[in-house]
Amino acid sequence: MTINIKKYRIHFVLLIVIIFLGIMAFTQGGWDQVLAGIKDGLSILLQELPLLAAAFLTAGFLQALVKKEFITRWLGREAGLKGILLACLGGGLIPGGPYAYYPIAGALLKSGAGLGVLIAFVTAKNLWSVSRIPLEFAILGTTITIRRYLITFLIPPLLGLLAEWFLGGSITKIEENAQQ
Amino acid sequence: MSSATIILWCITAVLLLFSWKAGPETVNRGFHLAWATTKQNTLLIFLAFLIVGFVNILSPQELVKSWIGPASGWQGIILAEFLGMLLPGGPYVVFPLIAILFQAGAGLAPIITLITSWSTQSLLTIGFELPFMGWRFTLIRWGMGLLIPLAAGFTAVILWG
Repeated sequence: MTINIKKYRIHFVLLIVIIFLGIMAFTQGGWDQVLAGIKDGLSILLQELPLLAAAFLTAGFLQALVKKEFITRWLGREAGLKGILLACLGGGLIPGGPYAYYPIAGALLKSGAGLGVLIAFVTAKNLWSVSRIPLEFAILGTTITIRRYLITFLIPPLLGLLAEWFLGGSITKIEENAQQ
Repeated sequence: MSSATIILWCITAVLLLFSWKAGPETVNRGFHLAWATTKQNTLLIFLAFLIVGFVNILSPQELVKSWIGPASGWQGIILAEFLGMLLPGGPYVVFPLIAILFQAGAGLAPIITLITSWSTQSLLTIGFELPFMGWRFTLIRWGMGLLIPLAAGFTAVILWG
């Protein structure tokens, strides 16, 4: 029984958030608003299905293709700065929202990537994101975009290094935790 | 279909080609692992998208607009960090809103903090992070990230006033 509860812990957390948001929607506009929220979520899900399918396939084939030794050498704990820089590059180049890059990060975690590498990957996706640059220039203008990139440029590798340095040893626990 | 979808499908195709060259067993394993990940996460993804839907119709954008307008200086930076966490949606939704805030007189430093916080601390993306990475990773990444938007904002103040 305890195993079951552990297995569905994240489901419970998300469900509580949904109930909380549902109540907020209800107080704002009754059942119509609740229904509108559900409809909105489902339509975005439907719209993103092709992207989700590609993300899950990429995650699966990455795991199937990449040999454990390769991950250990290039993205594991021993890879050091090399692995973190590689992860930054990958994160910066990969397109799509969180439902696209987290399945891929999860595949890397399962295959033996280090904590610093994973933190660098996600942070670079969030801060370097190449696919976002044209939009950022177009909407926010040159000044904001260039200054924002300049200021946050070093953060992905730096955060990866710090994470690896201080918490790198906890990667086994993190992997077990993600498997549940 | 968005360009992100097309690029990701191209990556999938390349990986599939490599697997095919490696032999039928690798192809089978790839599909099997993809299916296992899908099965394991379908319900969670469904729940996460429901959260996205509710947040969309509750439109916290309005909240963000009404709060950050007059605030500036270090108070504006701290406020921007919190508001960035609440901002939902991709760049198509968020950048136009930030542009409006900038035109309405929000300073460069709070704006940079806001973009950075939305990028790294967004609460909405946690719904997608938890299923694949577990709470331990999420806690470490999000916790370490808390200082980044503030640091970015204060650096902007030092560099450009």
